Amino acid sequence: MIAFVLRRVFQSIIVLLIVGLIAFLMFRYVGDPIESLLGQERTFEDIANLRERLGLNDPFIVQYFNFLLGAVQGQFGISYRAGVPVSQLIAERLPATLELAFVSGLFALIGGVALGVYTALRRKGVIATTIMTASLIGVSLPTFLIGIALIWVFAVELQWLPSNGRGEVVAIGGWTTGFLTSSGRASLILPAITLGLFQMTLIMRLVRSEMLEVLRTDYIKFARARGLSARAVNFGHALKNTLIPVITITGLQLGSIVAFAIITETVFQWPGVGLMFINAINFVDIPVMATYLMLIAVFFVLVNLIVDLLYFAVDPRLRVERPSSK
Amino acid sequence: MTAFSPRHGRYLAASTLALAVALGATQPVAAETFRWATTSDPNTLDPHAASSAPVLGFLNNVYEGLVRRNQSMAVEPSLAVRWEALGDEGWRFHLREGVTFHNGADFTADDVLFSYERASGETSDVRSWFATVTDVQVVDDYTIDFLTSAPNPIFPGSIANFMIMDRDWSEENGAETPATDEERYTTLNANGTAAFQLVERSPGVRTVLTPFDGWWGDVEHNITEAIYTPIQSDATMLAALIAGDVDFINPVPIQNVERLQNTDGMNVIVGEEARVMMLGFPHEADALTYDGSPNPFTDVRVRQAVYHAINVDAINQTIMRGAVEPVSQLVTPDMRGYSEGLSARLDYDPDAARALLAEAGYADGFTFSLMCPNDRYINDAAVCQAVVGMLAQVGITVDLVTMPVANYWPELRADNFDMYLLGWSPGTFDAEHPIRFLVSTPNEERRLGSWNFGGFSNARVDELLPQVQSEVDEGVRQGMLDEITGIMQDEVAYVPLYSQPILWGVRDGVSVSPRSDNFFILRWVSVE
Amino acid sequence: MSETSVEETKPAAVIDPKDAPSLWTRIKRSDVWYSFTRSPVAIVAAIIVTIIVLASVFAPLISPQNPFNPAELNLMDGFSAPMEPNQFTGNVYWLGTDDQGRDIFSTILYGSRISLFVGVSAVLLAMVIGIVLGLVAGYRGGWADTIIMRIADVQLTFPSILIALLVFGIVRGLVPPDVRNDVAVWVLIVSIALSDWVQYARTVRGATLVERNKEYVQAARVIGVKPFTIMMRHVLPNVMGPVLVIATIGLALAIIAEATLSFLGVGMPKTTPSLGTLINTGQDFLFSGEWWILFFPAVALLALALSVNLLGDWLRDALNPKLR
Repeated sequence: MIAFVLRRVFQSIIVLLIVGLIAFLMFRYVGDPIESLLGQERTFEDIANLRERLGLNDPFIVQYFNFLLGAVQGQFGISYRAGVPVSQLIAERLPATLELAFVSGLFALIGGVALGVYTALRRKGVIATTIMTASLIGVSLPTFLIGIALIWVFAVELQWLPSNGRGEVVAIGGWTTGFLTSSGRASLILPAITLGLFQMTLIMRLVRSEMLEVLRTDYIKFARARGLSARAVNFGHALKNTLIPVITITGLQLGSIVAFAIITETVFQWPGVGLMFINAINFVDIPVMATYLMLIAVFFVLVNLIVDLLYFAVDPRLRVERPSSK
Repeated sequence: MTAFSPRHGRYLAASTLALAVALGATQPVAAETFRWATTSDPNTLDPHAASSAPVLGFLNNVYEGLVRRNQSMAVEPSLAVRWEALGDEGWRFHLREGVTFHNGADFTADDVLFSYERASGETSDVRSWFATVTDVQVVDDYTIDFLTSAPNPIFPGSIANFMIMDRDWSEENGAETPATDEERYTTLNANGTAAFQLVERSPGVRTVLTPFDGWWGDVEHNITEAIYTPIQSDATMLAALIAGDVDFINPVPIQNVERLQNTDGMNVIVGEEARVMMLGFPHEADALTYDGSPNPFTDVRVRQAVYHAINVDAINQTIMRGAVEPVSQLVTPDMRGYSEGLSARLDYDPDAARALLAEAGYADGFTFSLMCPNDRYINDAAVCQAVVGMLAQVGITVDLVTMPVANYWPELRADNFDMYLLGWSPGTFDAEHPIRFLVSTPNEERRLGSWNFGGFSNARVDELLPQVQSEVDEGVRQGMLDEITGIMQDEVAYVPLYSQPILWGVRDGVSVSPRSDNFFILRWVSVE
Repeated sequence: MSETSVEETKPAAVIDPKDAPSLWTRIKRSDVWYSFTRSPVAIVAAIIVTIIVLASVFAPLISPQNPFNPAELNLMDGFSAPMEPNQFTGNVYWLGTDDQGRDIFSTILYGSRISLFVGVSAVLLAMVIGIVLGLVAGYRGGWADTIIMRIADVQLTFPSILIALLVFGIVRGLVPPDVRNDVAVWVLIVSIALSDWVQYARTVRGATLVERNKEYVQAARVIGVKPFTIMMRHVLPNVMGPVLVIATIGLALAIIAEATLSFLGVGMPKTTPSLGTLINTGQDFLFSGEWWILFFPAVALLALALSVNLLGDWLRDALNPKLR
């Protein structure tokens, strides 16, 4: 077990290094930061000077090395756009994204499992069929369109919820939270639904199909035959057995939560790291882009590790298999 | 809230509060708190680190220059009460006495000298303003001389955005120089002399200003607090205004102007912006980047044909909803140096275009690629598409390439274009500005033509430009500008299209004053 | 439901190939067809998909205008409302026009063509990459598994948007300007496929890990069946269930991803809009009153994506013997 974890940690470091390498390889294609740093009256000389000062004339491998050197010491550079250390910028923005991801993840998981179980148990029911079809509408339209539609309906027409931002936030140490104010909680609703809708649909469909399969297996039939209550069979046995794929997919979906957070945050002007990243792309803010990608890479490596460990714990067959394959 | 009877007052107030809590919605804000949103957050609060409009526009509320511009862009006294030319040698400024910075420090000529040194240093982004300045001399605490290498009649107006910082404050905080690539105290903090002071700054999220009690001027606004939020998405910003989350937005997407005007409680303020849109040609290139065939645009008849083929009125009526103003030159009529006698555009005339093309040997047309940004100007990509259609109708096939502006300028700089869309807003509000940057033969050493991507070159223009820059006699100067404009029109150096409008959205009860540089000046705001 | 249909198909398996019934007959006798004829939702969905596919394939014959030819457009026709004469030209368009004077009906047909092509190609590409890598990773294990899964980690780290920007950037650097717009479709396909394959790979790997230890696979291995054959014949069919779940959502998703990319400024050229590009254009006019520019393309996209998803739902149930 420890050997397995150690091996994964070692692999993870290599993953991080490769992510950084690819990131720096592609920055040159995103645009030229100089253009947005200097005003319209800049001269060729100003451009050359700034390029030199920013180290943009170095080969990407040197730029990458310098970034790593700084990163090891906890220095991620200065944002070209904001002129403040990237670490400070991310520390300010991360709570917003984490709170949004948490709420939308919770929404997706609870909604997805509940609807999934329901539609599986009432497979032919009218309500279940309606839910199945209606849920598809949510995944048949682009996220940005859903977000815009929600804003128009709930913020502009009905004026029930704020149209953008986080509302009032309360600072607790270095963490700013929107959970403690009513405007903060209200501001979370629309973005969380926008971000979680897709995941909810996916989880729901997955739980449904897994439930349907498990309900057909002999062991559930035996459980029924033994006279266990429907509730015990459905939730104690059937649902439990659908959890492996649900864990995998939920883990994987954290990835798309991050990816879609970029769009959701843009539509709702949610001051999180996704919005920061899209701004960084527009501004070719290389230090911010690099740090964001590294951060996401660390996050993913951890999630993957946890998912694998859970597999380990949940499915005994893999326990024998994995280590012996090495 | 003051009109209801005391008996019901408590009940009403309580229910309003409960409603606000339950719905979490922002109720109409207290009259004095003003919230505004624009698409681009100023990337720094250092007035010498960036010469972009979002930064200078924002900082005009916090910092002040020696002179400033009024609602109609005319130069008026600010930190200097008056100024005079020192013959041909430069300008003397007499400074306002009794002015203090937000931190309480007194404003003196030494601060101006410090700010000059800071703003003309190597890491400054605004040092081109001081290209002709040879020396700055403090005469006494409230008098300072700016000496120039040649007579410079427009100098005072050209430094309207040169903002004065406190020497001691800057030095104490280690901010003697501006920086974009290093940490600076001045990036997040500000200490100016203007009507508003900074109380909170969270880049990209929220910036809060409050009125400065010690300001020297007469207060016209009635704001007690101003909260700024950047909102990138146009649609979200519009929604925020209508939902009552903000009181002011800039810009209103052009297609939504009419609808917003007809919306209860909403209003649109329309002004004319100084930005002129144009199409640029490759004047120097031998071959088209599209397919390597010989460059047809070196023939003036082809350039004229393009001009004739483009129906600016149609673009205005459809894509721009009648909100733009067609132009014939690179400046608008209210700018200094506009050539009154040359205000006619070439007619929209597809037949003439076809004839000119045939005459130039392109009766069967040709194919080229048009470069266009898609996130820089109002409806930029849509305008380029329209151009593609109009050129198709005279037999020229256009391959349209659109991209975000971060990629756009590098492509233009690398000469990867056969035609391109460009917008130009002269910082000095003078016709000399676009000539220096867009028309003069590119010359790195003399800092000329740095945005003349197509390499237009005309000996007479190059000869006239230095004379324009130092000519003090208004009439002679205008004569030379007219000659240059005439050359540009004859040669079709660019196809001038239209000038963009300023479109500000406000809720009823908010009164603001647009200025054609699109700067939002808080001290002109009043809120009901 | 299908005791009889199982018997019906049995003879087909033992019939001498020479006497095999025609494809049509075989389809008609199959379980899947039987299940299809019993599912009204599937029938309606299939009809809608068929109509959209046919309409987009024959778009040049059906549409009143070629919206991809700038010479056929008149800017003054722009923003015509559906069924109302244009204020300048007096022309009438069924579904109105967009900002450039493109007939929305024609543009939907031409746009669906691109969207369908991009979606189907991207899903196929992602599926092929994902299934092959997933099978190899799950079946071989060891270092092959390690490498593939770490590549997947790297891949997942990069948001699809960034991958698209990267691919677009590289293409811009490598491809001559005159074919840039022509390769945009392929760039989209590759970008979307590159960001989607991991889903398939991880699912297939997970399922393969379970399947490879089952008796039938081990038995096959013992009797000396080649690994490739085992994977294709035995493991693959058993992992197709989850793969189809992903693929059905994936197809609709790929079509939507294309729309999202155009929201971010990297998509089909504006002069040859796909459904997504059109929707993105349309959302600018949501508030200004020109609802039709967004509405009709969105309905077309919704109808297409929804039908594909519903067909996928039905197909998954139909293919799954455990659910009968």
